[in-house]
Amino acid sequence: MTPTADAAPLAPRSVAMLAVAAVAGLTAFAWPLFARLDASSATTATFVFALVLPLVLAVVVAELTSDSLDVKGLAMLGVLAAVGAILRPLGAGSAGMEPIFFLMILGGRVFGPGFGFAQGAITLGASALLTGGVGAWLPYQMIAAGLLGLGAGLLPRRPTGGAEIAMLCGYGLVSAFAFGWLMDFAFWPFGIGPGTQFSFDPDAGPLANLHRFALYNLVTSMGWNLGRALTSIVLIVLLGPGLLHILRRASRRAAWASASRGRVVGPDASGLG
Amino acid sequence: MSARPPRPRQAHPWAWWGWALAVAGASSFGTNPLLSVLLGLAVTAVVVARRTDDPWARSVGAYFALAGIVLAIRVVFAAVAGAGVGSTVLFTLPHLEFPEWAAGIRLGGPVTAEPLAYTAYDSLRLGLMLLCLGAANALANPKRALKSVPGALYEASVAVVIALSVAPQLVESTQRIRRAQRLRGGAPRGWRAVSAVVLPVLADAVDRSLGLAAGMEARGFARTRVATRPSSAATIALLGAMLLATFGGFLLLAASGTQERAAAAACLVVGAAGVAVGLRAAGRRLRVTRYRPDPWTPRDTALVGGGVLAFGTAALLGSTLWPAAYATMHPSTDPLVWPQLHPAMALILVGALVPLAVTSAPTAAGRP
Repeated sequence: MTPTADAAPLAPRSVAMLAVAAVAGLTAFAWPLFARLDASSATTATFVFALVLPLVLAVVVAELTSDSLDVKGLAMLGVLAAVGAILRPLGAGSAGMEPIFFLMILGGRVFGPGFGFAQGAITLGASALLTGGVGAWLPYQMIAAGLLGLGAGLLPRRPTGGAEIAMLCGYGLVSAFAFGWLMDFAFWPFGIGPGTQFSFDPDAGPLANLHRFALYNLVTSMGWNLGRALTSIVLIVLLGPGLLHILRRASRRAAWASASRGRVVGPDASGLG
Repeated sequence: MSARPPRPRQAHPWAWWGWALAVAGASSFGTNPLLSVLLGLAVTAVVVARRTDDPWARSVGAYFALAGIVLAIRVVFAAVAGAGVGSTVLFTLPHLEFPEWAAGIRLGGPVTAEPLAYTAYDSLRLGLMLLCLGAANALANPKRALKSVPGALYEASVAVVIALSVAPQLVESTQRIRRAQRLRGGAPRGWRAVSAVVLPVLADAVDRSLGLAAGMEARGFARTRVATRPSSAATIALLGAMLLATFGGFLLLAASGTQERAAAAACLVVGAAGVAVGLRAAGRRLRVTRYRPDPWTPRDTALVGGGVLAFGTAALLGSTLWPAAYATMHPSTDPLVWPQLHPAMALILVGALVPLAVTSAPTAAGRP
């Protein structure tokens, strides 16, 4: 098993695009820290970024899927997104049971950071289309899930076996909370409305607002974040070893084109016949 | 029989999105609850009259529920943890003070009408925006929308189309594997059953993706791109446009003066236009044909025009240029007065109801 052989190196172009997307995404999530709007128009801030983020996503996903991925990567992306889109409604609404994050973590781990970003973004996009859930929150979810997959691809390559599963579990715990905090923070002024003591206050400083957010989050979302983290960990422990094996086997079998670019490769050589 | 190609019965999916987003934008210009309720009724009427029997068309009920939940959460928070403004006390809740480390939050106490009315007005507006998104989800066919994405996103849309068409097959694959396990006897129980079912299904899905890739490759899928790499100047321009748009969004929120706001909006528009141009240039490297593309007809323009009429009227009424209309768009909650309607608001409603006039009801089968 060679975990490093399967992740295709990213072109510098893609790295630059991903970096810009990460900056744009984090700016969009952290907007309550720097916004100077009055309280009533604070809800429109979310919509400003809901219009900017799709542009950023379009550029990055176009770049990642057209130049960094070949046909097999694209088909793998589509199939993994389909699995995520099927799994997502299974746990919807029940205390943060979201059985899709473990797939993005494992996909990013095996196929690298660029694939992880595309997988996270496309899984949530396909799932929203399938269930009719397209809205202002979708670009945020796509960016956050993309960053989650990207981070999984950037974990150290060396650990294998039990150590690898333990590392992925740790990442599942951290990323579940990070995902929840990012999403809650961006939609905090929007969800609770202005004027309460838990509300976003544009006149207070960033630290005071962070304090208010921490209280609000502790009251409303801690259970969801914990549920999401535990779901990811349980699924990684249960399914991780088997699924990593399946994905790595597929990536070895799919290595035919990159090994022999420009030559015609028959079905026998790929083992697909 | 006829020489003319048959006119498509359903409107273009992006036209539905344009109409719905414009009406959602129109609702953002004011907090008048009467207008919000009337617009909500108009959007609901359009959805009920024009939706099909497809699965995505059933989602609008979930958006109604979501709007109700947002309204309920906001009103409860305003009542329990309100900041204590307003003079008309409705009733008094039990009182609870938190220590200083918890920011000195005060829960309960007298509940006043003014902040509750303000919260309810704002939440109705937000609920209307959610309803507009629900309408777009219910009325626009996502598969047809994916067919008309820009060329640069062609591969991504292929991945999404694969996902949408593979998802039902996975359910079938799960049933097949479970049946095989039952036939073999000794089906695993408890935690082991999860991995005993999920892993074969995933292995099946991965094998399917390799077969699909071989099929796509054999039919020349990856040969549709012109072999030239995009120039580094184009890359830098695209990166710059992305950064400019992000910076514009940042500045629009962080700026305080009118001039800074205008500069921020200019950054946003220039950056967005740059990204659009860059994506077009990237898409031109692709040579694919489209099967049965959806034409954009004058009716689709009329549909979007209705949304633009609603948006433009609301923007005019909600601006400070017209003080009388501004007052009706933002009714006062402190002192609390009964909200009034302005005659020009009828134009907003007409714009929201344009789809009923220009589109036709779906056929009995629910499919074009």
